[in-house]
Amino acid sequence: MLAPELKKTLIKYLVIYKAFIKASAIAEIEFRLNFIMRIFNDIIWYAAQIFTFEVLFRHTKLIGSWDIYQTRVFLGVLFIIDAFYMIFLQENLDKFSEKVRKGELDLLLTKPVNSQFMISFQRVSVSCFGNLMIAFGWFIHSLLQLQDVSWGRVLWIFLLIPCGFAILYSIRFAIAALSIILVRADNLQFVWYQLYRLGMRPDSIYLRWLQIIILTILPVGLIASVPARAILDPPEFWVYAWSILAAPLALILTSQFWKFALTKYQSASS
Amino acid sequence: MSFTAFCRRNLGFFKLAVASNLEYRLNFLIDSTVQPLVSSVVEMVLWMAIFKGAQAVEIAGFTQNYYLAYALWATFVARITVNWMYEFRMIEEIDTGSINGLLIRPMSYFEYYLSQLLGYKFITTIISFIFPVIFISLLELPTVWTRLPAALVLIFYYLIFVYGMSFCISSLAFFFNKVNSLTVTKNLALWLLTGELFPLDLMPENIKNFFLALPFSCGVYIPVGYITGRIDHSVLLHGFKTTTIGLIIVSVLGFFLWRKGVRSYAGTGA
Repeated sequence: MLAPELKKTLIKYLVIYKAFIKASAIAEIEFRLNFIMRIFNDIIWYAAQIFTFEVLFRHTKLIGSWDIYQTRVFLGVLFIIDAFYMIFLQENLDKFSEKVRKGELDLLLTKPVNSQFMISFQRVSVSCFGNLMIAFGWFIHSLLQLQDVSWGRVLWIFLLIPCGFAILYSIRFAIAALSIILVRADNLQFVWYQLYRLGMRPDSIYLRWLQIIILTILPVGLIASVPARAILDPPEFWVYAWSILAAPLALILTSQFWKFALTKYQSASS
Repeated sequence: MSFTAFCRRNLGFFKLAVASNLEYRLNFLIDSTVQPLVSSVVEMVLWMAIFKGAQAVEIAGFTQNYYLAYALWATFVARITVNWMYEFRMIEEIDTGSINGLLIRPMSYFEYYLSQLLGYKFITTIISFIFPVIFISLLELPTVWTRLPAALVLIFYYLIFVYGMSFCISSLAFFFNKVNSLTVTKNLALWLLTGELFPLDLMPENIKNFFLALPFSCGVYIPVGYITGRIDHSVLLHGFKTTTIGLIIVSVLGFFLWRKGVRSYAGTGA
């Protein structure tokens, strides 16, 4: 049972988040063309990913250790995590650098709410909920195409996808928070997308040393590859255990880094 | 207005873009080198895995080295032929009304940003192309160096067409205000259509022919294919032809959208 104080705090944040969702929905629907195009954008992105692998598999039977059916499942996992990222984080963290530069961060820091929560979750991309449904649809479709699917192993994703998402958030937030220290580093944010690309390919394609790096120091491999491996490959419990351990660890480190970054913050609006 | 004055003015815009982009050197280096370098590594590793999985010496008539050379050049060329920054800036200026300050100047808005875009891409090309040149030489990957100048001419010619598209999208901001998502849609579509993801010749013949009939293949596939020896002179000339047709279309469209847009523009924020 939750302590009354903790319960009160939790309710407070849930109420705030509900208000964020409502405000975001109103703001998004106001510009209808933009709203429709945002849905369309992710469909193009999914199509590009699928199309790339479909074309590549016309010329090979295996990429890394997976065939086309297994790679489709991997893409399904990737799409689900990416859809969550698009809904809850993208809008907030992509504009982080701009908020710092324009001094908008000052307003958020003065609020009686955790500043990391405010800057990470203020906007919700309502238009991307449709993408989540598409992602789940593709994931289920690709699972049904697999010949020997162990449904018991599929349950691992309920644990590993949230861990992957937490790691994704931590890395992205840490890179975004760097803008407080570097001030004008808009393009550093684009480096994130290049790093994310490493995680957007099955980790088995990489050379051993690079595979170790993306599973440990720069854990983008834990985002989609490990949850997909839980479904597709023989169980590797130490990898799952590491993913489960790495997620809270990454969140704690991110929080510490945020506190450190704030000590370097020089208000742009003052 | 004399031609000399026109040239001098546009040279000024060109220099302005070079200076303003070099002002934040870290930002510029990340944009011009770090991003395409990381991207190249990911793509090259993918191609190594594909060849390992296929257990073949050649795929679609080309060896692994041809694909590595393609992946290396493609990411750097794609950085040159994409337009995010100036398009977002133009949209924002129209949306917020800050365009007013430019409209009253004795110059056209079209030339102001075209010269800046060319200046920015010129300096980016000089700095960023050092890397593929070094890596291609070190790894002894296939590249026909004598073809590089002609490919660069096509790249910059195509860039004018890309700017034409940006101008059309920006002009839509007169009617819809928030059109940033259209930029994302366009660039995502180009990501697929240019051949950045994989050489277009890997696609089924009919789809490949369709893609080649469009000017977008000049964004990556034709110049990179030409440099790496995948395609011959006739395809390059075909690229110039399709880009010219595309340029005429976007110029006419841009002219009408701009004229109609300025007429309906209320000068918000003035």
